[in-house]
Amino acid sequence: MKIGLVLPSVPAYSETFFTNKVNGLEEKGFKVLVFVNNANTTHFNISNTRLAPRLTGSFLRVGIVSALRLIGSILFHFNSTKHLYLLDKADKIAFSQRIKNIISNSHILAESLDWLHFGFGTMVFNRENVAKAISAKMAVSFRGFDIGVYPLKNPDCYERLWNKLDKIHVISDDIRDLLYTHGFKDQADVIKITPAINTSLFKSDNKEFLGNKNHFITIARLHWKKGLEYTLEALALLKKESIPFHYTIIGEGIEYERLKFSAYQLGIDDHVTFTGKMAHKQIINELNKADIYIQYSIQEGFCNAVLEAQALGLLCIVSNSEGLSENVLNNETGWVVPKCNSKELANKIIQVINLPQNKKQDIAKNAKERVSKHFEMHQQKQQYVEFYKE
Amino acid sequence: MGKTIKIAIYTGLVPSTTFIERLIQGLAHNGLHIYLFGLQRRQSIPLKNVFHFTYTKTFSKLFILIKYSFLLTILKARDKRKLDVFIANQIKNSIQLKIKYYPVLYHRPDIFHLQWAKSIADWLWVQEFGIKLIVSLRGAHINYSPIANPELAVVYKNLFPKVDGFHAVSKAISEEAIKYNAVKSKIHLVYSGLELEEMPFQLKKFDESKPLAILSIGRAHWKKGYSYALDAMNLLEKDTIDFNYTLVGVENDEELLYKRSQFKLENKITFKGTLSFTEIVKEIREADVLLLSSVEEGIANVVLESMALGTLVISTDCGGMNEVIIDCENGFLVPVRDHEAIANALKKVSELTLSTYQQITKAARVTIEKQHSSEKMNSGMQTLYQKILNNKL
Repeated sequence: MKIGLVLPSVPAYSETFFTNKVNGLEEKGFKVLVFVNNANTTHFNISNTRLAPRLTGSFLRVGIVSALRLIGSILFHFNSTKHLYLLDKADKIAFSQRIKNIISNSHILAESLDWLHFGFGTMVFNRENVAKAISAKMAVSFRGFDIGVYPLKNPDCYERLWNKLDKIHVISDDIRDLLYTHGFKDQADVIKITPAINTSLFKSDNKEFLGNKNHFITIARLHWKKGLEYTLEALALLKKESIPFHYTIIGEGIEYERLKFSAYQLGIDDHVTFTGKMAHKQIINELNKADIYIQYSIQEGFCNAVLEAQALGLLCIVSNSEGLSENVLNNETGWVVPKCNSKELANKIIQVINLPQNKKQDIAKNAKERVSKHFEMHQQKQQYVEFYKE
Repeated sequence: MGKTIKIAIYTGLVPSTTFIERLIQGLAHNGLHIYLFGLQRRQSIPLKNVFHFTYTKTFSKLFILIKYSFLLTILKARDKRKLDVFIANQIKNSIQLKIKYYPVLYHRPDIFHLQWAKSIADWLWVQEFGIKLIVSLRGAHINYSPIANPELAVVYKNLFPKVDGFHAVSKAISEEAIKYNAVKSKIHLVYSGLELEEMPFQLKKFDESKPLAILSIGRAHWKKGYSYALDAMNLLEKDTIDFNYTLVGVENDEELLYKRSQFKLENKITFKGTLSFTEIVKEIREADVLLLSSVEEGIANVVLESMALGTLVISTDCGGMNEVIIDCENGFLVPVRDHEAIANALKKVSELTLSTYQQITKAARVTIEKQHSSEKMNSGMQTLYQKILNNKL
């Protein structure tokens, strides 16, 4: 079976959910082609990757690339090209857009596939008919931002999509519910496959992490979605109570200035370290130094980092955003706090700090067990195989 | 005043922001010669005493380069050589720097008044040619950029002691600048001013049966603290207080759209794009209360405008806002980053009697007339220039 996976760019090492998926399918004898718009990293064997035509730069450059792609598509892939044109026409797409769609999807039209799978909902625009044009089945993954935030800015953006899908993949139950708020009416099967991790990479010896170091940690892009401002505010409340702590944020992003200023204005600048981006190995080192992992996101699909933290035996405090309350079970494998409320988060952190040692150990143990039982890579690989086979 | 004073008001872009354009107009009106350098991004309205030595696109840059290279070589060869040596030692593209610097060197204003502190390192050279350098201390450039960018903090600490004079928009920002080695005696406070005749005060009458009309104005930038404002609206809604909240200058911001949708407040919160000044005045007049939820400001102009026009203000106590607002007297002040305090203040406003409301807004107008008229700003600025030229600062 041949599967095409459409992604914005070649997955970086940190985007384990894609690399694992591809590797898993290949192990089971599937052929996987990755279609990307940008090739910044070269993680994959180049023969597996197909790059979309780059339609930026000078007018002349775009013109030449477009003409070549269009002619190439018509000459060498006449059937799929014609098919896409007619399907788009039936959807009442403007002529110029129909031509653009042929050009920008020429790398996909050139392939024959059993499945065309879009890695994010937002990858699908102007490509709604491409799968059918190459006689492949069509699947889309929804992971959080694409269904939680994007449609707020662009209402009805998935209107044309729902009727054309064969299968939808969601990463949590909350994401599944969100589909229905944006016009989905059960036109296709929805399969939940949660993210998973390779727990063997996250082994921790039963170290003294549950001591009273109060070393908190978050791994996140510095983005408003991650609720880091609320987290900093909660920690400022801890400081007011004279509770000593240190907080490490691993990640980089556009909100650095905002967060750095927040920490400064809240008077906790000396207690917060922004490490920037880190390599995987370093991240594990940092996690091992910490007691409590905090993921107080405003919006979050599922969050692999929380799985990894649990596997390493950290105590996890998360918000109730989308998949997080599925990732961590409140009072069983960690704690779930209603989002956007720094006071409640602060109270919860204080409560957790003050728990008796054995209670902390129980929770950490439960979390570790649940992650290896339900969020282990082998299972996820098998689930993907079934996703395409059914 | 003996000879006409030549002042370069520099932001890099012409025309600049509303308040800087206002300053230019006022100073030119008072007989100062204002020189504008930099990129002309669109046509300016011609004004007496305002001189443009700007460039537009590639061709005009080339023209500027040739023209001033020629003029300087013929008339000020020694100065040109001196500046060329300086330019050659810079990392930046020397052609670009010549285009930027040559007109300033040739026209040699008495004072080079740099509006944005961040580019201080680019302009310290003017002092080598007898030009006095004044730097304005405004908002973000002082309040948070050097915190997030330690290298900038080092630049400030090294260069601020060399500046001839500072213009501070508030006392609070002066204090911040002193942390970066600005010399206290060289800082001159000039509050921003409004054309008060264009903003007549209207005593507001409101219908208590109508929902509380809340307004915020300003682009969707984190420093505006809109996320706190939205959290506060969520509390108001839970408190069953009837309100409408309009944010002007905010359109399609993901964070705010997401929050509004989470709180299910689509019917009560409206985002509007950028509006013209006339439209903004209309919005302010129609609102019961203007909310400034910022975490950082110099002194926010929208607050001054609302106070002038007669709309009550709730503002966070950030930057210099407490130099304008005295809590419960001419408006309300709330702590920064505190959505509960915002919600409580809004609740308080919704319960005000008409007479108390009017008493507060009248007091607000008096504050603005006393402290923020354009005449006061212009004369304050002129005093600063005079002092610097007479070496008295």
